[in-house]
Amino acid sequence: MRGGDRDAYAELVNRHAPVAIRTAALLGAGGEAEDVVQEAFVKAYAALDRFLPGAPFRSWLLRIVANETHNLHRASGRRMARERRAWEQSQPLLLARPDDPAEALLSLERQSALVRGLARLSPEHRQVVTCRYLLDLDEAETAAVLGWPRGTVKSRLRRALIKLGDMLDTEASRDRAREVKQRG
Amino acid sequence: MAEGRYDDLVRDLATLGRGVDPPVPPKGLATAVMDRVAALPTPDRPVNAWTRVWRRTGRWVADIVESRRRRIALVVGAVLLALLATPPVRAAVVDWFGFGGVRVERGSSGPSAAPPPPEVAQDWSVSEAAAAVDFTLSVPVELGDPDGVEVSPDRRLVSMSWVTDEDGVVRLDQFDARFDFSVLKRAPGVFYAAVGGTDALWFEEPHEVVLLEPDGSRRTESARLAGHTLIWLDDVTTLRLEGDLSLERAVEIAESCVTVD
Repeated sequence: MRGGDRDAYAELVNRHAPVAIRTAALLGAGGEAEDVVQEAFVKAYAALDRFLPGAPFRSWLLRIVANETHNLHRASGRRMARERRAWEQSQPLLLARPDDPAEALLSLERQSALVRGLARLSPEHRQVVTCRYLLDLDEAETAAVLGWPRGTVKSRLRRALIKLGDMLDTEASRDRAREVKQRG
Repeated sequence: MAEGRYDDLVRDLATLGRGVDPPVPPKGLATAVMDRVAALPTPDRPVNAWTRVWRRTGRWVADIVESRRRRIALVVGAVLLALLATPPVRAAVVDWFGFGGVRVERGSSGPSAAPPPPEVAQDWSVSEAAAAVDFTLSVPVELGDPDGVEVSPDRRLVSMSWVTDEDGVVRLDQFDARFDFSVLKRAPGVFYAAVGGTDALWFEEPHEVVLLEPDGSRRTESARLAGHTLIWLDDVTTLRLEGDLSLERAVEIAESCVTVD
């Protein structure tokens, strides 16, 4: 390997490491996010000659990260069990609150309601919401990372939002009813 | 889908994501990766990959030169086959470059035709616009007085448009070249051209253009598909001319620009 390429690739690793680790963590790699990301960078390098000039490196890398994360739970057996394992890893990250309550970005109620909603989504819907909104990837990147056609991303995203919105509405109206009952 | 209904939900989901304590990348990650990479067998086709790129590049140049020889010969000093001609690793690192506030990213080929550029409202006069911004404005004599002039609310961008018989709708955007980021273009290929002896960029194929915030983030709502576009610098101003124009005509218009006092 030439020296220049070595430096160039190290630079690439440093630049994309934060988003790669974040992606691994939220897709369910838990404490193994670092290992997953290291593995992904090594695999990406080994496959560089297949990397098409013109394709964005970041999407391609995140696709490998998503695959590696998925592979972590392969030993967990059936698909539903695998998805559950992955969600068990990412859920605590989403439920965590900052040490200083003043730094909280969402109210405790709203945060837990959103996470409860996410928990009840199908794995596909949860994945698409995670990539597009929690990780703030754009639609094309979401499609690349999940390996789905762009139209599928669009339609699943739309349905996931409708479901999530309905769940949150139902929950809110139930709370209101309970409040009224308690007061009465 | 009623867009508004989910605005709060989408916003809160993004907030939820942002609130996740980002796992910090371990310090030695790059070193660990490079050590493992060094132990890998050398990829066995680097030369072939190079050759492929060069062959493709060569064909591309030949095609373009052939079809536009007469028109292009006058204006193009050098044709830069931007990022296609770089080796894979280097290309991935240099996956964008900056030019007077314009960030150019490599993108894949999109649709074969772009709609004409959006016309500009008749809200301002040229002299009012020149007084409202911190950079020097120019108007191309070749096109005459603009039909519309607009200054962006943050006073960073001035847009003008003309509806012409000869060229259809032509649009000229001007902004301060000293900003790091103002506009993002994602294009399959970029050429270097020259306007009045200085470097210019020519986008031959339809490409995505997005306005950027000063910190480099995208103003997603501004994204649109743009057609033939010429970008050049004039002192502290970046000028961006868009329309159904040949490179020769675009350069002719660009070179007719005079500064507004």
